[in-house]
Amino acid sequence: METYLSKEVFSQISPSEFFYRNRDLAGFSNPTRSLYTSVREFVENALDACDHRKILPDIHLSIKAVNPEQADPKHYILTVKDNGPGIDPEHIPLAFGTVLYGSKFGLKQARGMFGLGATMAILYGQITTNKPVTVKSCSDGKSLDEFVMLLDIQKNKPVIQKHTTKEGSKTGLTVSIVLEGDYSKAGSKIRDYVYQTSLITPYASITFEDPSGEKFHYARIVKDMPRPPTVIKPHPHGIDVETIRRMITDTHYQIPTIDNKMIDKVKKELSLKKNLSPKEILERAQKRWSDISKPVRTVISVMSFLNIDFEGLQKIRIDDIDVANKTITYWDFGESQSHAVELSPESPYYKQLASTVQGDTLLTFLTKRFQRVGPTTAEKFCEFAKFKPDKRIGSMTNEELVKLADALQKFEEFLAPDPSCLAPLGEEPLSKGIMKFFNPEFAAVWQRNASAYSGFPFVVEMGIAYGGDIPPNGLKVYRFANRIPLLYDEGSDVVLKIVNETEWTRYKIKGDPPLVIVSHICSTRIPYKTVGKENVADRPELERELKNALQYLARKLAVHMSRQGAADMAKKRANLYSKYVPLIAQFATELAGKKKEPNYNQLIRMGSEIEEQV
Amino acid sequence: MKNKSSAKTAETRKKRLLSMLEQQGLSIYENLDKGKFPQFVIPSRSVSNIVYDKKIRQYILGSANAVRSSRNMSQLRSYTQLAWLAFFVNRLVREGKSSTLRDIYYSSQAFSIDFEDQPESDNIIVDLEAVLTSPREEFHIFPEERSSVFGDLTIEYTVPGYEGKRMNLSDHPDGYLIGPSLSSAELVDTSAELVIAIEKGGLFTRFVEEKVHKKFKAIIVDTAGQAPRSTRNLLRRLNTEMGLPVVILADGDVYGEHIAMVIKSGSANAAHLRELTVPDAKWLGVWATDIEKYKLPTIPMTESDIKRIYDLQKDPRYQEGNWKKQLEVFLKLKRKAELEAFSKYGLTNITDKYLPAKLEESKSF
Ligand SMILES: Nc1ncnc2c1ncn2[C@@H]1O[C@H](COP(=O)(O)OP(=O)(O)OP(=O)(O)O)[C@@H](O)[C@H]1O
Ligand SMILES: [Mg+2]
Repeated sequence: METYLSKEVFSQISPSEFFYRNRDLAGFSNPTRSLYTSVREFVENALDACDHRKILPDIHLSIKAVNPEQADPKHYILTVKDNGPGIDPEHIPLAFGTVLYGSKFGLKQARGMFGLGATMAILYGQITTNKPVTVKSCSDGKSLDEFVMLLDIQKNKPVIQKHTTKEGSKTGLTVSIVLEGDYSKAGSKIRDYVYQTSLITPYASITFEDPSGEKFHYARIVKDMPRPPTVIKPHPHGIDVETIRRMITDTHYQIPTIDNKMIDKVKKELSLKKNLSPKEILERAQKRWSDISKPVRTVISVMSFLNIDFEGLQKIRIDDIDVANKTITYWDFGESQSHAVELSPESPYYKQLASTVQGDTLLTFLTKRFQRVGPTTAEKFCEFAKFKPDKRIGSMTNEELVKLADALQKFEEFLAPDPSCLAPLGEEPLSKGIMKFFNPEFAAVWQRNASAYSGFPFVVEMGIAYGGDIPPNGLKVYRFANRIPLLYDEGSDVVLKIVNETEWTRYKIKGDPPLVIVSHICSTRIPYKTVGKENVADRPELERELKNALQYLARKLAVHMSRQGAADMAKKRANLYSKYVPLIAQFATELAGKKKEPNYNQLIRMGSEIEEQV
Repeated sequence: MKNKSSAKTAETRKKRLLSMLEQQGLSIYENLDKGKFPQFVIPSRSVSNIVYDKKIRQYILGSANAVRSSRNMSQLRSYTQLAWLAFFVNRLVREGKSSTLRDIYYSSQAFSIDFEDQPESDNIIVDLEAVLTSPREEFHIFPEERSSVFGDLTIEYTVPGYEGKRMNLSDHPDGYLIGPSLSSAELVDTSAELVIAIEKGGLFTRFVEEKVHKKFKAIIVDTAGQAPRSTRNLLRRLNTEMGLPVVILADGDVYGEHIAMVIKSGSANAAHLRELTVPDAKWLGVWATDIEKYKLPTIPMTESDIKRIYDLQKDPRYQEGNWKKQLEVFLKLKRKAELEAFSKYGLTNITDKYLPAKLEESKSF
């Protein structure tokens, strides 16, 4: 299991060509939207990087027109600078020059998910202005690397135009692109985005300098970083056939590709200097068996059945290991023909090959590869799914895999997903942020316990604020998911649905109240309705949590409102009694035929104080 | 000539009223001084508290009281309005000035009393009537509508500028408006032996022309439809102070019958008041049975006429005798006749024939 301080693991999963064609989906449909999306991608990467290393973020965002005289849409220079950990120089070209290359695929909550955000923005800039991206990074506090790169879209490969290394002092990363944008239209959304991001990231300091040179500065409100999330194994409910297939064909269980690299590895593990006969090789392997790695064991088992040395090994390609028919099929390059060799079950190497090809038993697979599945649950599951617990997962047919995935979804006795991979903001920072932003007369926050939908854990935290600096323009909802503000496509969002379904008069809220709701959903997978990551779909589990949170807060508000109402009432009483009692005294004095008015001050005071009579 | 028995009743009533107002004032004053919340006790005028008193033969309020307290914030404003009205009425009565319902509404504005509309101030006036069990006319507050009186009756004004001045009400043939000064005047003496209350101004003029006041030794009162309270009060005073019997002539329909009933025993919405009824007054006509008997030209009843009959049949006062019988006949005929219908037999037919016949007949009921 990875912890938050581990080195990011980079892996590459698909070419950029596809995303060039699908840029609309990623939020790059026009100059307005693209400018906004680019800001988002770079700011979120910066915040992710800081979060990840527990660094209090200091983010500087600037947007400058290349030629301010020109009319929109025009070319802008977008620069985002952070004080995060930076990236090792060797990884920079890949992280920013290829799509689907990211460090955040593990199961934990982060803003970025797909490993394409930054690259898409860079690609967009390059397509619209033909200008390269500049990345400056310092990851060790000593040297500052600067890359100027273009992206080769067809090959999903960066083309480095310039790479310099200077002396650096502080870690951090600065990325700068030139892109076509329309700030006159995107400006208000970008300002909203920066404002709301500061609200949900009260531990960050964010500065935004707009094209006119105006600076928007949001100072740090809290000094503590929220607890970082941990990376965890998947929950069986959150898995589909494709994921299982990927898990099964992991390197660990694969027939190793026999190339020079592999042969070197075998030699190294056996500490072989010179060429030995097959028999001698096997003898040496026997002695060190427990120290050698699984792929090497597999190679040695193959050598034993084929009775060949390393020279022979170089001339063949293993095509199939058919455990059921106990045969190995291989291709001999020298003879240019295929051979089949029988596997003797008596051989000590048979088991090794069989388990490599067939993988773990289902029972082991379930307990080792999933979270919160122990042997007892695993056995119960096997019974439920009608699989033998010792069934080898490598031997499963396509149909059986589908059946397995299906059963994993349906089995109800798995424990709820582990929420330790989530990073809610926490009640205190959320509350402080709300107080600072709205200076309300009343505020309350609540973080719900973790819950889950289809195997994905989630946590809802919500805040409510009333009065104070909030303008009485009616209810305003700030929606966040994994600390990202959601600004577009509000109409179909589940949070708004819940808010709109609430009968506010029941909570003593009428008219256009000065009311703000801050909703934050954290999950390893936010159920977004669209790839644009702007609105959240209404999963029943999520809806229930949101509803509970809102009701709880609304009730608190109602208590405040009636207290407030009582105070207002007292004020009203005071006004009424000060107005009417002197009049009554005047009338009574004349009626009674007196000269001097009675002393009624005591009565005014009493009138203002007494409880309302029912 | 009949002389009134007790001296200066108008003066007495005025004193009584002023003393009640002073009492209210003193009570409020003391409460304020002691830091207590003053309140008015108002007999409840809700439907459930209005009952018919068979003994005194009028509607009265039951024993339920409503308290209007200055302690209750939601009543504070109307409490103040009521206190203001008492204060204002005190001024009116002391200064001998009169005003109308509308005047009251406007006068309040000088004292930041905030009546929302005239119905609200009208209501407060009724509240004060109930608190003091006196009709608003005694407070010198008069409705807009006026009725008149004619006949040999000498009165003595009590209004400022006319105090002690006497006047005989047979000098002007159009009759005399029953207004504030007449209402507050002392009734001095009369030669009349009868009061005829008549529903319509036209017939009133005819009666004066035909010298009904002489022929029948009568004082004639035009009620102008449903008799205003000041008129009912005058009828009562003529009856009680001067000892004159009162008879009533009204149209031959259900409304006419009820005009007579209200003069005799009051209306539900004045149940908080006394001194407005003439329990011995007699309804001369026009009865339903007269319509056939005198072969009067008729007009058909409307839906609302018929509905009104059904309503009145539920009233306890219509449960027996002639009152009950006439309602039933009206309902059977489904036709009605106006007083003017007698003109078919000549303009003087009503005074020459009908009136003497009915007066004769009335001796037996
Ligand atoms: N400011 C930064 N500091 C350190 N590392 C960064 C920074 N920006 C990007 N990276 C690294 O580059 C990788 C690629 O970023 P990219 O935005 O393309 O993908 P992502 O953030 O993982 O996912 P998404 O597509 O959802 O944004 C990240 O996973 C991260 O490891
Ligand atoms: Mg990203």
